[in-house]
Amino acid sequence: MIPFLEARGLTKAYGQLRANDDVSFSILPGEIVGIVGENGAGKSTLVKMLGGAIEPDSGSIYISGERVTMRSPADATKAGISLVHQHFKLIDSLTVEENLVLGRPELRHGVLNFKALRSGFEGVGKDLGTSLQYDARVSTLSVGGRQQIELVRALFHEPRLLILDEPTAVLPPTERERLLCLIRRLKERGMAAILISHKLDDLYDCCDRAVVMRAGRVVGSSDLRSDDRGQLVRLIVGEELPPPEVRRGTRGAPLVSVRELVVRRDNGTVAVDRGSFDLHAGEIIGLCGVEGNGQTELMHALAGMRAIEAGEIVYALGKQTAVKCDAASLRQAGVAHIPEDRLHHAVVPSFTLTMNWFLRKLSERGLVSFGFLQRLSAAKATHEAIAINDVRASGPRARMSDLSGGNQQKFVIGRELGEGVSVILAGHPTRGLDIRTVAVIRNRLVAERARGVAILLLSADLSEVWDLADRVMVMARGKLRGPVPVGETSLAEIGHWMTTP
Amino acid sequence: MDLVLITGILAAGIRLGMPIALAAIGESVSERSGIFNIGIEGIMLSAAFVGAWGSAGTGSPWLGIVFAMVIGLLLAGFHALMVLVLGVNQFISGIGMVIFGLGFSSFAARLTIAAKPTSIPGLPAIDLGALSNIPFIGPILFGQSPLAFIALVLALAAGWVINRTAFGLEIRACGEGDEVARALAVPVNGRRTACILFGGLTAGLGGAYLSVVQVHAFVENMVAGRGFLAVACVMLGRRRPFIAFLSSLGFGIAEATQIRLQTIYPDLPYQFLVILPYLAAIVALVIGHRNVERSA
Amino acid sequence: MITTRLIRLGLIVGFAALVPAVFVLLAGQSLWRVLTTLVLYAFGPQGWSEVLVHAIPLTLIGLGVAFALRAGLFNIGGDGQFIAGTVVSVFFAPYFGGLGLVGLLAFLTCGFIGGAALGALVGYLRERFNASEIIVTIMFNYVAVQMVSYLIRGPMADPMPFWPRSYMIPPDCILPVLVPGTRLHAGLIVALAMVIVFAIIQHRTVFGFQSLVLGANPGAAIYAGFRVKALTVLVMAVSGGLGGLAGAVEVGGLYQRIVDNMGEGFGLAGIAVALIARLEPIAIPFAACLFGIFFAGGGALQRELALPFPLVWIVEATVIFAVAALHWALPDRKVAA
Repeated sequence: MIPFLEARGLTKAYGQLRANDDVSFSILPGEIVGIVGENGAGKSTLVKMLGGAIEPDSGSIYISGERVTMRSPADATKAGISLVHQHFKLIDSLTVEENLVLGRPELRHGVLNFKALRSGFEGVGKDLGTSLQYDARVSTLSVGGRQQIELVRALFHEPRLLILDEPTAVLPPTERERLLCLIRRLKERGMAAILISHKLDDLYDCCDRAVVMRAGRVVGSSDLRSDDRGQLVRLIVGEELPPPEVRRGTRGAPLVSVRELVVRRDNGTVAVDRGSFDLHAGEIIGLCGVEGNGQTELMHALAGMRAIEAGEIVYALGKQTAVKCDAASLRQAGVAHIPEDRLHHAVVPSFTLTMNWFLRKLSERGLVSFGFLQRLSAAKATHEAIAINDVRASGPRARMSDLSGGNQQKFVIGRELGEGVSVILAGHPTRGLDIRTVAVIRNRLVAERARGVAILLLSADLSEVWDLADRVMVMARGKLRGPVPVGETSLAEIGHWMTTP
Repeated sequence: MDLVLITGILAAGIRLGMPIALAAIGESVSERSGIFNIGIEGIMLSAAFVGAWGSAGTGSPWLGIVFAMVIGLLLAGFHALMVLVLGVNQFISGIGMVIFGLGFSSFAARLTIAAKPTSIPGLPAIDLGALSNIPFIGPILFGQSPLAFIALVLALAAGWVINRTAFGLEIRACGEGDEVARALAVPVNGRRTACILFGGLTAGLGGAYLSVVQVHAFVENMVAGRGFLAVACVMLGRRRPFIAFLSSLGFGIAEATQIRLQTIYPDLPYQFLVILPYLAAIVALVIGHRNVERSA
Repeated sequence: MITTRLIRLGLIVGFAALVPAVFVLLAGQSLWRVLTTLVLYAFGPQGWSEVLVHAIPLTLIGLGVAFALRAGLFNIGGDGQFIAGTVVSVFFAPYFGGLGLVGLLAFLTCGFIGGAALGALVGYLRERFNASEIIVTIMFNYVAVQMVSYLIRGPMADPMPFWPRSYMIPPDCILPVLVPGTRLHAGLIVALAMVIVFAIIQHRTVFGFQSLVLGANPGAAIYAGFRVKALTVLVMAVSGGLGGLAGAVEVGGLYQRIVDNMGEGFGLAGIAVALIARLEPIAIPFAACLFGIFFAGGGALQRELALPFPLVWIVEATVIFAVAALHWALPDRKVAA
C-alpha cells in the first residue's frame, strides 16, 4: 500500500536553532500515528509544515506518491490534509456558526446565508455524533465544545489525513474518551490521523504506532503493542532524570483558612462558589481542574489580585492575622505568588531585570527609603539573584523580554521565594518550560515544603500533582472538592471530580 | 411647551446632528474592525474647508461635496498608513490628524475663500410635496437635505453589510480577535484599511455637510468638537452604525434645544447653554458605562 | 538591514521637510525667505526671548502629558486644565496681596490645584465609569472655554474692561521679568524647576515607578498590588496640575489677568512636545524650545511675510507624525506604545 503521506528529510531552522532536522516518516491510509516528544522537540514545527503554514527549508512531502509543495493552509486542504490546532483559533465574542465560516475561507464570500451553511455543517456534525448550538457564543462553551468547532471545521471537506495537535491537553477525562473514540471511528472509514502529544496515555489508547522526536530529530519509533513503556520514555527523554526528591514534610498549623469564599469573574459569572479549605505549613496542596473552572480566580483572590464577594480568607502568618488583604501587603507578610500568566502579570517585559526586581519589593527597607528607589542596592540584589538562581542573562541591566521563558520563570521564583516567605501560591509554575527548568522548580518547591512553607500548587499536569502534592483539591464549575490526601484517592476519581461539579 | 417648538427643535436637531451622524457611521465601521480614528475632527475640518472651497470655486455644491469626500479618503488613507504600516499608535496619529486639520483648514481658508467675500452655494432641500406638509412628521423627516437621506441609507447599509455579509464577518473578526483572524487567512490590514477609508469618506461628508449644507460658509474651527462627539456616539452606540447614527441625532437635538433656550431665556448667560451638548456627552458616557465599549 | 533603516529614516525626514514646504510654496512664498526669517528672528535680539516665553507653558504642559502618557493615560485636556488653573489662581489672587514671595507661591499653587482637580475628576470618571479619558478631557476643554468666557465677562470681570478680561492680580503675584526689555519672566525658573522635580519623580520615586508599570503592563500593576484606581486618579491629577500651573504662570508672567483665548492650542502642542521628547522629562524643555521657535517664529512670519499663522499647526502635526514614525526606522526603544 502506498503511504498516504510521506515526509522525507524535512528540515527547518530558525537562525541557529534547528527546529526540525532531517525528519522523515510515513503514514498509511487508515493508520493512526502518534508523534510524541517533550516540549521543544519540534512537534509544532512539523505540524506547521504538514499543515501548510510554513515551508520547509529542505526536504519534501509526498501525498499518495506524488510530491507536493504546500504554501498555505489552503494548499494543505486541497491535498486532503486538515489540522485541528492546539490553541483553538476561535473568536470568543462571535457565534459558533460565525467561527465555522471564518475557519473555512472558501465559504467567506458574498451574503452569508446561515441556513444553507448550517445544513452543510450539520452533515459533518452528525458524523461526529455531536450537535452544535450554532447561534451560541463561543465564550459560553466548554473547552470540549470549542474543540468540536475545530473538529467540524477540520472535517468539513472530508480530509484523508487529520492532524490533531495536543488534542487532549485541556480535556477532562470523559471528553478525552469521546475524542479518542471519534478518531477510531474515523479510522474505520479509511481516514488517517496523526496525533501529536506529549502524553503516553494518548498513544497507547489510540495509536497504531508512535514516532518519537527529540531536539528536532526523529530518534525512533515504537510499535505500541509490543514495546514497553520504559523504553519509550527513554527514547522521549533521552536520559535518566534524577528521581524527584520527594520527601513528604510534616504538616503544621493552618496558615491560610478559606471559608465560604465566593469570587466573581469580570463578566459577572461566579468563578468560586462557596469554597472552603485550609492550607497548612509544610504541605503542598495540588489544585486541579479543567481550565476555566475558577482556579485562576481562586489563586488571584488568595494573592490579593481579585476582590472577593463573600466569605473570608484568613492568613495566620505569625505576627498578625489579616482577613482581607491586598497583593502588596500580602507579599510583605510573606505570601509569595508565582502567577500563571507570566508575561501579563509576573514581569514587565520592557523593563530591565533590576526594575522587575523592584516590582514586588517596594516595601523592602533596603531598596526603598522615603519613597525613593535605591537603584544601586537593587542592582546588587538582582545580580546576586541571577547568579543563585541560574538565570541566563547578561546582567541586571538586561531586558526581561530578551530572556527565555525558563529564565524568566527562574527570575520570578528567585524574586518571590526567600527568607520570610511562609506561603507560596504557584500557578502552573512549570507550564511550557524545558525539562531541566521544570526539575529545578519542582525540587525548589519540595525544598520549601521541607522548610515548613505552605504551598498551593495549581497544575494541569496530573502526574506533577501526583508526584509533589500531599493533598489534592479539584475545582469543577466553581465548586471545590477536597482537599484529600493523595494516598486516599486515585487519578480516576480525580478525573471524575473534574467533570462533575 | 407647544408642538411648534418641539417640531422646530426636532427638525433643527436632525439638521444639526447630521455632521456628527455622518462621521459616526464611518467611525463605527472603522472601530468595528479594531481601529480608532480620533482624528476625524481634523478630517471634518479639512473637508469642511475643501467642500466650501470646492463648491464656491465650481459653483456646484455637489462637486464641493465630492472634493470633500476625496480629502476625507486621502487623510484617512494617511492614518491607515501610519497605523497599519508604520505601526504608529492610533491615538497619536489621530491627534496629529486633528492638529493638521486645524492648521490646514485655517491656513488654506485665510489664503483663499476667507481672503475675499465668497458665496457658497448650498444644497437645496428636497421638496417632497405633500409629505413635507404633514404636521409634525413633515418638517422633521421630510424637510431635510438630500445628504440626510444619504446618511440614513449609509447607516442602514453599513449595519447590514457588517452583520449579513462575509465581508462584514471578516471585519468583525478583525475587531474581535485579530490574531485569530490572521491565522484564519483573513486579510486583516486590507479589511481595516477599507474600513478606515470608509470612515474618512463619511467624515468628509460630515464636514462638507457642515459648511456647504448647514452654514453655507466656512468659519475657522467650525467643527468645534463634533468629530470627538462622533467618537463618543460610536462608543455609546456600541459600534453599531445605526445606533451611533441615532445617538448623534440626539446630540443634534441637544444642540438645537440649547439654541432655542437661549432665545427663551435671554437672561441666562449663553455660555451655560453652549456647553450642554458637551456635558451631555460626558453624562451619557457615565450613565451608559455598562454598555460602553472602550479600548486603550 | 541598516540600509532599510536609513531609507526609512530618509523618508521620514523627507516627509517632515516636504509637507510644510509644500504649504509655504502654495502660499506663494519662497522657502529660503521663510527659513531665513525664522532663523534670524528666533535667534536674533528680539526673538530669542519670545522663543523662551512660549517654551515656558509648553514645558509645563508637556511634562504633564508625558507623565500621564507614561502611565498609559492620554491627557488631551491641557487646554481645559490650563484654563482651570488660570481661574482658580486668579480667583484667590486678591487674598495673596501683600504676602510677597509666599503670596506668589500660593498663587501658583492655586493654579496647580485648579488643573489637578479637573485632572482628578477625569481620572475618577475613567476608573469608576469606564469613561474614555480622551473624550472626557476634550469635552471639558470646550466646557472650560465657555465657562471662562462667562467668568471674565461676569463675576470675575475687570471693573473697567476695555475688552473682555478679568480683574488684575495683585503685584505680589506677578512673576518678575528676568531680562529687562523682554517679556521673559521668572516662569522660566518655575518650568525648569518642575523639569528637575519630575525627572526625579519619574525615575527615582515609587510613585514614578508605579506609573511606569501601569503604562507598561497594567496586569503587573495588579499583581504587584498597586492600587490602580487611586494611582490613575493621582497621575491624572498631577498631569492636570501641571497644566493648571502653566495657566497660573502665564497669568503671573505675561498677562496679569485672564483674557479670551489665552491658552488656546497649548494642550495639543503639549502633546507634540511630549512626543518629541520621547516622554523623557529632561528632554522636554528642548522640545518645548523647538516649538517655541515655531510659535514665536510663526508670529513673525505672519507679520513680515503675511504667511498665515496656522502654518505652525501644520508643522506641529508633521512633527508629531514624523516622530511617531521614528520607531519604524530606528531600533526599539522604551516608549509608551
